[in-house]
Amino acid sequence: MSSPDLYNRRFFLFSGKGGVGKTTLAAAFALSCARQGERTLLMELNVKGKISTLFGAGEVDHEIREVDDNLFAVNVTPAAAMREYALMILKIKLVYRAVFENRIVSSFLKVIPGLNELVMLGKAYYHVNETDEAGRPKWDKIIVDAPATGHGIFFLKIPSVITSLVKSGLMFEEAQRILDLLQDPERTAINLVTLAEDMPVNETLELARVVREEMGVPIGVVLANAVYRPLFDEAQVAHLNEAHAALQAAADAGDAQAQTHPAAGFLEAARFRNARVAMQQEYLDLLREQADAPMIEVPFYFHDRMSFATIDEIAAHLSRELPALANPAEDAADRSSSSAG
Amino acid sequence: MARTDDEAPASRHFERVISERQVVICVGSGGVGKTTSSAVIGLNAAISGRRVLVMTIDPARRLANSLGIEALGSEMQQIPLERFKELGLEPKGELWAMMLDMKDSFDRLVQRHAPDPKTRDAILDNRFYHYFSTSLAGTQEYAASERLHELVESGEFDLIVLDTPPTTHALDFLEAPERLVDAVSSRALQWLYKPGVLSGRSGMGIVSLGTNYVMRTLGKFTGGELLSELGVFLKTFSSLFEGFEERARGVIDLLKSSATGFVVVTAPDSLTVEEALYFYEKLDRDALHVDAFIVNRVHPRWVSEEALALPPEELGTALEAPPLPALDEALEPTALAELLLENASQFELRATQDATSIALMGDRLPKTMPILQVPYFNRDIHSLAGLNKARTALFADF
Repeated sequence: MSSPDLYNRRFFLFSGKGGVGKTTLAAAFALSCARQGERTLLMELNVKGKISTLFGAGEVDHEIREVDDNLFAVNVTPAAAMREYALMILKIKLVYRAVFENRIVSSFLKVIPGLNELVMLGKAYYHVNETDEAGRPKWDKIIVDAPATGHGIFFLKIPSVITSLVKSGLMFEEAQRILDLLQDPERTAINLVTLAEDMPVNETLELARVVREEMGVPIGVVLANAVYRPLFDEAQVAHLNEAHAALQAAADAGDAQAQTHPAAGFLEAARFRNARVAMQQEYLDLLREQADAPMIEVPFYFHDRMSFATIDEIAAHLSRELPALANPAEDAADRSSSSAG
Repeated sequence: MARTDDEAPASRHFERVISERQVVICVGSGGVGKTTSSAVIGLNAAISGRRVLVMTIDPARRLANSLGIEALGSEMQQIPLERFKELGLEPKGELWAMMLDMKDSFDRLVQRHAPDPKTRDAILDNRFYHYFSTSLAGTQEYAASERLHELVESGEFDLIVLDTPPTTHALDFLEAPERLVDAVSSRALQWLYKPGVLSGRSGMGIVSLGTNYVMRTLGKFTGGELLSELGVFLKTFSSLFEGFEERARGVIDLLKSSATGFVVVTAPDSLTVEEALYFYEKLDRDALHVDAFIVNRVHPRWVSEEALALPPEELGTALEAPPLPALDEALEPTALAELLLENASQFELRATQDATSIALMGDRLPKTMPILQVPYFNRDIHSLAGLNKARTALFADF
């Protein structure tokens, strides 16, 4: 079995350690879907509206709003999701307010393990199955920017935790439906975002293992973010290192000229890049060997990562790279087919 | 940009403020180097002669290794500072470190405060307990703040540096005591056991409904069994919270007192800076003492603007000027110079952006707030020397 084209699925989760660019890549992926004419919903969960900043479309809150052509965004808060959900069940607003907004009840709701997470996932589930008047799916793609790992693992485990704790009631039924969606490789993929560095890679490998073995959620791709393009070839790197060392030795020996040498700063900058490139290649190899999932490298952008122009560039990059992964002739696809199941 | 010019006074001011604190709490988004900054603050205080404990939540193996130990556990262990002598330093104090395991902290809380062994076991063995202790917003943070309080009270350390969990709402830590009191307050529990509590009230000024109706509705939602079992668990659990509000107040008082200082750690990109400012505003609103901003991973400015304008031929010639070694025949000086120029201008772009967002950040902070920049090193910090390099960047040696 070759790796199916991710763009054929409907429901996507993006997870990873904090600070690796998870939101940026979720937004870029959403944009790449929207650019292909897919009606796309990008969901942030209870965070401080990063997507608003990205698309410059004003504050994105719990109301869905269009932030670009075909691209809609919403910031899901537990309170709003709970309200929507309970209203669907209780129908009458007044009753909802009397029951759920009662101070005592709401403080009690806070201690029900996982309820907040469940209603947020429940909202995503609802949109995955939402249809228009003609009965067609309302959304082609639903993309969830999941919480950072640690809490993220807990977040995705919630449906199975609930189905193991309770065996009846709406919460149980809801958890069961969400679990079925999360584990369905036809509809769902979780994409793991990482940096090619020690801590993020170790956490990603652990996350991949938990997602695969304990949760049964299909992994789409590992996205290695901010990878420096190697600029210098091997011979050049060797020479630059030698030159840097020579200059350093002369400066240490008190050679005043060495410190003001016109090439000094250039050698320093090159050394920084070469060291980073070497380190990143090491961790990319580790990911290729151990993550047991197809991988895409997303280049480092020297202009500010959080601008719309960058998101746009990454979106174009993903539209090129992702379908290529589905081609069985590719190395990556071979690797994933040998590991499938 | 003015701030970068007087870096030294900023670090000196920071060092002086820290020397007066008993507790330093590092806050910030995930992935900004908070754990390293906490270690460096602790290390510096230990070198200057204080007995310091660094509490971290991150199982940073590299950091443990760089401190000269195999791994950090939930038991505190002393960091061998003799090794710093190799770097020409004379550490006068002691450095201790521990990893704050959240589950472990919560178990401790139960063991410490359960009224009797039977209740203790009833809680620890309850099937809700595991999820409750690891998942309920605020419980972990609460356990951490209790542990902090306990350690401060013990008077064992001159300074405790706490590396907080990287939550989006970083201040969960501060709000945890209050929130937990609210969540398991006797009122909510009474309601489960004495259904009369609700029926006589008008809630939030809304028509009051029969308790049975409320119970039935909720039960439909959660499943009746969950509701009643959870009720039993919470009732047992609430026995822990005898005197709870008092202790919670003790923690809050400690955090607000002049014994405690906060350090906001951030990366230089505009989005992370935005989050850091958000943390600051919340801390400031709660009248907590913010001692400094630390900006990690700032791209250095390696090449001047004039140098970037050099024609490649000219830089190519310079590449062979002494004391640089001659180029191998296979390497063409102008081609190599072109690549060096491309590389340097890419990093120049990054350095300019970093400087701009740091300057914008400074404009939104009080003029007196120290902003300390730590350069982006070309390797991850995984040695004593690396840690010391970060230390020197924060607390320039005078």
